[in-house]
Amino acid sequence: MSTQIPRDAYHAIEDIVGPDHISDDPAFLDSYAFQWLAELVRPERSHYMPRPWAVVLPGSTEEVAAVTKVCNKYKIKVKPISTGWYHWAAPMKDDEPTVQFDLRRMDKIIEIDEKNMYAIVEPYVICAQLQAEAMKRGLNLNIIGAGCSTSIVASACAYFGGGPSSYYMGNNSDNLLGQEWVTPAGEIIRTGSLSSGCGWFCSEGPGPSPRGITRGGLGSRGGLGTYTKCAIKLSPWQGPPVLEPKGPLPGYRLPIPDNFRVYTIGAPDWDAWAECYYQIFDNGIGYIFHRQFNLAGADLAAPLWLTYIDPTKTLNDVETMAKDPEVQKVSEEARISFQFIMQGNSIEDIQLQDKILDAILKQTGCYKVKRFCEPDMAEFTNMYMQRLGHKHCNFIWVGGYMGSWMQPGTPDFVKNYVPVAIEGFYRDQKSHKLVECGGDAMMGCGSTIGGGGFFGLEQFVSYDPNDNDSIDACVKHMEDAISDTAAHGIPPGKELLYLQIGWTDEQMWNAFAKMPQQFVLNFQRKIKEAFDPNSLGDRNYPWLPDGWGQKPKTETGSRKPLAKDGRSLAKK
Amino acid sequence: MDTKKSALIKIVGADHVLDDPEILESFASDQSYAPRRMPWFVVRPANADQVQKLVQWANETETPLVPVSSGPPHFHGDTVPSAPEGVIVDLSRMNEIKRIDRRNRMVVIEPGVTYGDIEPALAKEGLRISRPLLPRANKSVVASLLERQPTLIPRFNYSLPEPLRTCGVVWGSGEVAFTGEAGNGPMDLEMQWKRGVAQIDPKGPNATDLMRLLTGAQGTMGIVIWASIKCELLASTHKYVFVPGEKLEDVVDFCYRLERIRLGDEVMIVNAAQFATMLGQQAPEIKKLQKELPAWTVIIGLAGAALLPEERLRVQELDVRRLAQQCGVQLLAGIGNVAPAQVASAVEGSSEEPYFKFRYKGASQDIFFLTTLDKTAQFTKTAFSIAESLQYPTSDIGVYIQPQHHGVSQHTEFNLPFDPSDDGEVARVKRIYTEASQRLICEGAYFSRPYGSWAEMVYQRDATATRILRTVKQIVDPKQVLNPGKLCF
Amino acid sequence: MALEDYRADAMRCTRCAYCKWIPFDLIKSARFSKGCPSMEAGKFHSYSAGGRLVTALSLMDGRSTVTEAVKKSVFLCNLCGQCDVSCKMCRYDMEPLDAMRELRATLIKDGHTPPQFTPVMESLRTKFNMVEQSADERGNWAKELKVKDLATEKAEFVFHAGCRYSFDGEQGHVARTCVEILQKTGVDFGIFGKKEKCCAGRACDMGYRDDFQTKAHSNLKAWKKAGVKTVITPCSECFHTFSRKYTAKAGSEIKVIHMVQFVDGLIKAGKLKLTKPVKLKVTYHDPCHLGRQGEPYVPWNGKEKKIFGQAVCYDPPKPRYNGAFGVYQPPRDVLNAIPGLQLVEMERIKEASWCCGAGGGAREAYPEFSRSTANERIEEAQATGADAIVTACPWCERNFMDATDASGCKLRVFDIIELVGQAI
Repeated sequence: MSTQIPRDAYHAIEDIVGPDHISDDPAFLDSYAFQWLAELVRPERSHYMPRPWAVVLPGSTEEVAAVTKVCNKYKIKVKPISTGWYHWAAPMKDDEPTVQFDLRRMDKIIEIDEKNMYAIVEPYVICAQLQAEAMKRGLNLNIIGAGCSTSIVASACAYFGGGPSSYYMGNNSDNLLGQEWVTPAGEIIRTGSLSSGCGWFCSEGPGPSPRGITRGGLGSRGGLGTYTKCAIKLSPWQGPPVLEPKGPLPGYRLPIPDNFRVYTIGAPDWDAWAECYYQIFDNGIGYIFHRQFNLAGADLAAPLWLTYIDPTKTLNDVETMAKDPEVQKVSEEARISFQFIMQGNSIEDIQLQDKILDAILKQTGCYKVKRFCEPDMAEFTNMYMQRLGHKHCNFIWVGGYMGSWMQPGTPDFVKNYVPVAIEGFYRDQKSHKLVECGGDAMMGCGSTIGGGGFFGLEQFVSYDPNDNDSIDACVKHMEDAISDTAAHGIPPGKELLYLQIGWTDEQMWNAFAKMPQQFVLNFQRKIKEAFDPNSLGDRNYPWLPDGWGQKPKTETGSRKPLAKDGRSLAKK
Repeated sequence: MDTKKSALIKIVGADHVLDDPEILESFASDQSYAPRRMPWFVVRPANADQVQKLVQWANETETPLVPVSSGPPHFHGDTVPSAPEGVIVDLSRMNEIKRIDRRNRMVVIEPGVTYGDIEPALAKEGLRISRPLLPRANKSVVASLLERQPTLIPRFNYSLPEPLRTCGVVWGSGEVAFTGEAGNGPMDLEMQWKRGVAQIDPKGPNATDLMRLLTGAQGTMGIVIWASIKCELLASTHKYVFVPGEKLEDVVDFCYRLERIRLGDEVMIVNAAQFATMLGQQAPEIKKLQKELPAWTVIIGLAGAALLPEERLRVQELDVRRLAQQCGVQLLAGIGNVAPAQVASAVEGSSEEPYFKFRYKGASQDIFFLTTLDKTAQFTKTAFSIAESLQYPTSDIGVYIQPQHHGVSQHTEFNLPFDPSDDGEVARVKRIYTEASQRLICEGAYFSRPYGSWAEMVYQRDATATRILRTVKQIVDPKQVLNPGKLCF
Repeated sequence: MALEDYRADAMRCTRCAYCKWIPFDLIKSARFSKGCPSMEAGKFHSYSAGGRLVTALSLMDGRSTVTEAVKKSVFLCNLCGQCDVSCKMCRYDMEPLDAMRELRATLIKDGHTPPQFTPVMESLRTKFNMVEQSADERGNWAKELKVKDLATEKAEFVFHAGCRYSFDGEQGHVARTCVEILQKTGVDFGIFGKKEKCCAGRACDMGYRDDFQTKAHSNLKAWKKAGVKTVITPCSECFHTFSRKYTAKAGSEIKVIHMVQFVDGLIKAGKLKLTKPVKLKVTYHDPCHLGRQGEPYVPWNGKEKKIFGQAVCYDPPKPRYNGAFGVYQPPRDVLNAIPGLQLVEMERIKEASWCCGAGGGAREAYPEFSRSTANERIEEAQATGADAIVTACPWCERNFMDATDASGCKLRVFDIIELVGQAI
């Protein structure tokens, strides 16, 4: 089968976006096919997802719509990418012709409505940019866990949406106001108050909320058209209008204003940790709440971060420091810890929050981790957590990391699976093919929902993507994690979601068919039929074929005839 | 009809299939301008299983169902059948509080649970839910949340559907499916609880927000058989402060700043007429209060819960006072001769009979929509000018502005009391309702809850929403059995 | 090194796209947040450091070939190193800048030369300069000066003017001011004048390693013969080339000082007094080669090792070159010592400085790109309200002057030594 875009299609698209904004050069296409995590699921551990047929840089919603219509004519799938950083962003299947939309030309902050606390942005506006502008106006935004280099539109409209600030600022799914979406059919759809001509300020309604058809928790992840604008709700910021970090890099430090507090809180055990979380939720204190530094592994977090803030040091020093008894004491103290920042409306307010926190710590047996609360580490923590610009540190050890577990739930629910995750990870590290950072490399938001109460912890499994044995060890860990969860009656975590990228459609549908509720997958099939009649979206927007119901079906099992993409060919 | 009746009796039992003309008449119309239409039956299922059977039967027989959870009076026409041969599904028997989870601050209830039921039960556990203004005691909590009635505490309002989280639903097709986090797990709440699932996350399941397709739906998508709701801690200390203003514009800047920093619990802006209606029990008292109360008042509830409640209240009061000074507005600890308990009752309480909006003249009509705070004054002028042009006393119009979504949107409501026995007044108010609604929508007021005649106005202007919603309706209720004739269906 | 030596870097790239931005912590506005001029011009991911790593991998794996599009994506770049700084914010095991240099060298070796490079390289080979001027004119800037001629004499210090100052009639005065300052201090120094040869740093960056080696060894030989122990230069590109490339690639042991460092030392030691006010509001542009690429060279010859199972480090520990120790403060101290001068900072400074657009062969091969990069910086300078942009590299100055002339912009352009000269 040809993997080259038909010339007529190429020229038709070129006429729309201009010759400088389309390419089918193989090396260029490879730069979009090459994706983190591809090596876990692709044949022969290839780092390349399927190569698109062409990459297009549209400059406007109208161009997105026009190019999408061309793709409809030529039956070429459409896959948008903005800031990317996940293999979801690439084409999903080798035999599916796909045009990749790179949205980086659509990078404008259209408006910041300071009074009404929202901003309208295009897909390539990253959180860092909007935060810098918002802070000048006494506002801030929820930056998702993947950090400030990410697209706001993506996290609001198309995927997940939780981050360290979600506890106070809300999940970006809830922060989404009006949005603009180009369907795979090339139709421009606006939702909420925007579609009623009333501006961008409300995502609900009119009546039932049309936005409900494409978001959910997982989002369509680029699998059902292109989001071209959204309005995002902002939150209050009581700090300085411009962040003035002190160098040198990499451990920039952000001075802590008088009405802020920055702590690393430690717990003696997971029970106390859970109690502390519940008390924080009940008491409604806090601004940024995240278990961040443990991504490096509880055994190595202290030596790593103390190394990191010293610009003269390298990772070699981590090895030395890890053997230092004083640093080991810090490691133990910080073993079960999390980062917690409070913002006060006034000095009295922050002093009160401080008092409440102290009371919580006393009640639960938790404490402030002394070394991490000293000025250098506290200011570093402040910088790290406010701007969330160091998220590439997820890969600090060797460039490969896969996040397993992260089943979301209550603190009690999470507390229940954490020991299983830790034990499993210790076991899997014995192969020496993963970074041996100790079993607890679990990172996660204080809450992915505003107000608290719901989150997951993600196990940071670091592997060398340049070493197939190491990649294999990571995949084995993922399979082990799936077994561990099944053995303990815990729902599967993110590892399953990742592995499914390498599954066939039939494997996916068989898995869907085993789910206790398939209603939404059938619903999504019908939405896809309505808004993506030529099936230009990919399976990042999942569905279950008609008739593929409660019982798993084999390829030769009797069922209604299906199109290649699984939709029903049966006459309606 | 007899066949239908026997089929219904088979499902819910003879005692719960009602066709008494008086009972049917009580559902044939309501306080709105919805055309009168008699249902054929009122059925009262006891459980989810019966609800499902009812919906399945409705599909087989193509019978319209109209779900109703709250007791009367009803206001918006959504519970009045729009199609003939309709059956009212009265969910009031499904009134179990299934679980109060203090630790995770969640409550799971059936649709028939009212504010009168839930609040004492939650209070025993030290909990409360963010509630609307003066709900009737027989108002269904689930119905209120599904209809996105505005709640009083903006700082808890992370999204408009809050505190509603997940639902169990019998969809119009007759299938049962849960929304949100609950949609990932077994079809059994007890089993989910055993696994530690607390039905907290409203998103999903998967890439669809099923819950959002139910809110504002007026029962046209599915019948909710249970709902999980986020609770807050009951305040152990609570007081109110007030910021008066001659004009609405005088308090807007203060409110912007107050809402931005999420200070206080209850926050609302009311004019004298509205505040008087909230406080007064009888017409003369209300009239007197109309004259005595400030033209406009921002009511701010300061509360302390959990640890150090008194100190929380003290610091909040300090911060509010500081803010008022900065904005050049007055902050009052009391309002005229109104007793604090009276204010507390007006804000935190449920409406006793007669419903508070009826106390002044016997009936009332509401116009409400969403907008941003900077536009509320303009829309108020519009509504008032139309009322004035039609010789309606504008001093009687209650204005209630309720911040939502942390203040990003504002529920803006005009209450028009009238004497239902005075045909002239009835006609006048109807005309104001119609003309003001039309003018407001042209000026950009967002009628996000398009009841009755608003539906046509809204969906005529919004082809996209119409198309999407009809597509969804076709999927979840292909036979169009659930409340046909509402919205754009 | 060979391209294959950077396979691990490519495989370990996570496609985080940090290389397209300045370090996020330093972003102060949406307008001035971008870090990569190539990406702004080219737009496709292949124009980023991460994208070029994939290009390298794709070529090595035989998945693609060098097309005109690939060539342009490789060479439309100043090699300013911002990507390297941003990548190394979180990574200790990546060398994106070196990998991009290696990719260029590979393409050049394989004959994929941008044709615009040819006359420039011809000029280097035959005229010993990269500005396509006659070698005979090189010493004209120093004609009136009485300075030791190191072609025939010996001295401890050599003042290396560089091609730009030597040949650019509008900039030569800066070199003369440097000489005047040096003469005042009594330092034993000389110049090569007409016999001075290009540092060839740019040639190295363009991918002409052999040419670079030839020129480097030639210069080192000449210095040795003249008894030189230290080279002082007012050109940041020469500074970087001598202090890093000559040491790393040609075994140089010569000390290297930028003129601004020298002046800073003089001022702090009380040996140079700036007394005349210069009433100007200026903003300082950190040249890439003095700033983030101006860190001291640390010799290293080691290999990758793994600790904690799979974590990558090096044996012996490898110097980071992440921009932390560039020459940032001395120029600022010098400016602050000038009476009447007000220094206001742009948003992207020090390790986050936006490139002037001149380096890496871009000015020679892609003048439009070079100009648009300069224009971006000019706009940023104007946003501070400054009257002038001052820097410590003649290439930056020339690119800024050309840009302001073309646009009619009123922003003045100065070399820092020029302002020092005005204040003496």
